[in-house]
Amino acid sequence: MSVTKLAYYPGCPSEATALEQHISTEAVFEKLGVELVEVEDWNCCGAAEAENPMLVYALNARNLAIAERASLDIMTPCSICYYNLARTAKALKEDEKLNAEIKGIDSTLEYNGTITAKHVLDVLANDVGLDELKSKIVKKVNIKVAPYYGCYISRPPGTAYDDPDDPVSMDQLIELIGGEVVPFSQMKTLCCGGPLMMTRADIAYDMARKILDTAKSAGADCVALACPLCGMMLDAKQADIEKALNIKIEMPVIYITQLLGLALGIDAKKLGLEKNVVDTKELLGKVV
Amino acid sequence: MIKTWELDPGFKYEIMKEPGGEHLTSCYQCSTCTIGCPITELVPSYNPRKIIQMSLLGMREEVLSNPDLWICLICQTCTARCPQDVGISDLLSAIRRIAEKDEEAGKLKIESPRPLFDTAFLHTVEKYGRLYDIGLAMEYYPKREGSFIAGQKAMMKDYKDFGMRMFFKGKMGPLGGHGLLKGVLPSKIKNKDVMKKIFKWAEEKEK
Repeated sequence: MSVTKLAYYPGCPSEATALEQHISTEAVFEKLGVELVEVEDWNCCGAAEAENPMLVYALNARNLAIAERASLDIMTPCSICYYNLARTAKALKEDEKLNAEIKGIDSTLEYNGTITAKHVLDVLANDVGLDELKSKIVKKVNIKVAPYYGCYISRPPGTAYDDPDDPVSMDQLIELIGGEVVPFSQMKTLCCGGPLMMTRADIAYDMARKILDTAKSAGADCVALACPLCGMMLDAKQADIEKALNIKIEMPVIYITQLLGLALGIDAKKLGLEKNVVDTKELLGKVV
Repeated sequence: MIKTWELDPGFKYEIMKEPGGEHLTSCYQCSTCTIGCPITELVPSYNPRKIIQMSLLGMREEVLSNPDLWICLICQTCTARCPQDVGISDLLSAIRRIAEKDEEAGKLKIESPRPLFDTAFLHTVEKYGRLYDIGLAMEYYPKREGSFIAGQKAMMKDYKDFGMRMFFKGKMGPLGGHGLLKGVLPSKIKNKDVMKKIFKWAEEKEK
């Protein structure tokens, strides 16, 4: 295992809507013996709402700089935070003039490109690695899972760490813990609709419905994901989608860190499984 | 019909000056972006290829007033598939920012609440250093609906059930055991001055 200590950037949803992703990430890394040091006084990455890339670069330079002062790579559980951190790191390494200008805003924004940004799924599948994970697995998570990756894990090409058409990192983890990956390739990387949630809910609901419906008809017990905005859309808003479209879905949606945590023998409560909005109790009976 | 004398030959350069818009002229109109777009599948009028061609032709007004600009998901599927590395997601973002500047200058009325949403989101970040969901909704809904009362009604309609779910699941409020008003009050960073500096700088850069 090449990684023993990381700077941890939880991101804004970790404090409320995606609390279960946050606590399960902490629990999993504790169990794996990887120390997470929370980025001190971290700020928002700007998400998809900061359309001005200069704002994104400045906001994320500060978080990168804080991690760099501790000489630690920075890891986040959120796909959008990851994209913003990673594209900022790239831009500031490639463009000296821009980097100098951003340092000029405030000395705390000084980032010298010595650390990199990582997404939780990437760290688990590729840095900790499947062999190391396998050696720590104590339970079989005997469930059928639809692995949902969303956007920024496999796109855009400059920052992605998995295949744009058929990403595999989550599939590998699911198989490793004894789960079955259901046929889901068409939906793996379709956007969840989240960015239009509050401005064009009709479109957002149609997007999310496609993903959930496909998981259901593929026979999945749950959808697994690795982004809090996808979680908000597919899990927390699922009842709203059912109501608006007059349908029943009732598809549990679980963060990959929660699933992995179960296989590592971590208590369900410590993984926040009672916080997922669509009930997950039935799944727990399949962990043996 | 296109009226050639009404075209703005400078529009493509205006876009290319914006960060993200640099590769506009690399487009050779293959339509890969549009064929693979999940929004085009749901909203047939949505056509990024056409937006690019109209931009290249200089149809400034038609492009900037196109309401479809605001239903892009920024999902980057087009960017990943474009054989010419046009960077379409970022390009559309550059066009949206030009539209926002035109609206600020009173030259255009944007027929979408999305800029209001983005602005309300960023206001909470500027103020607290982190996103504050409730603050965002309290600014966005009244602005979108045109009055405080109508805004509260719309917000309750969209988020009453959602809020209850968050409360009972212990994600917001006392039931999660993470503090009485967790998620209800804003989470604030200590170094607020740096947020002010960052937003001021970025705003200056946009001009």
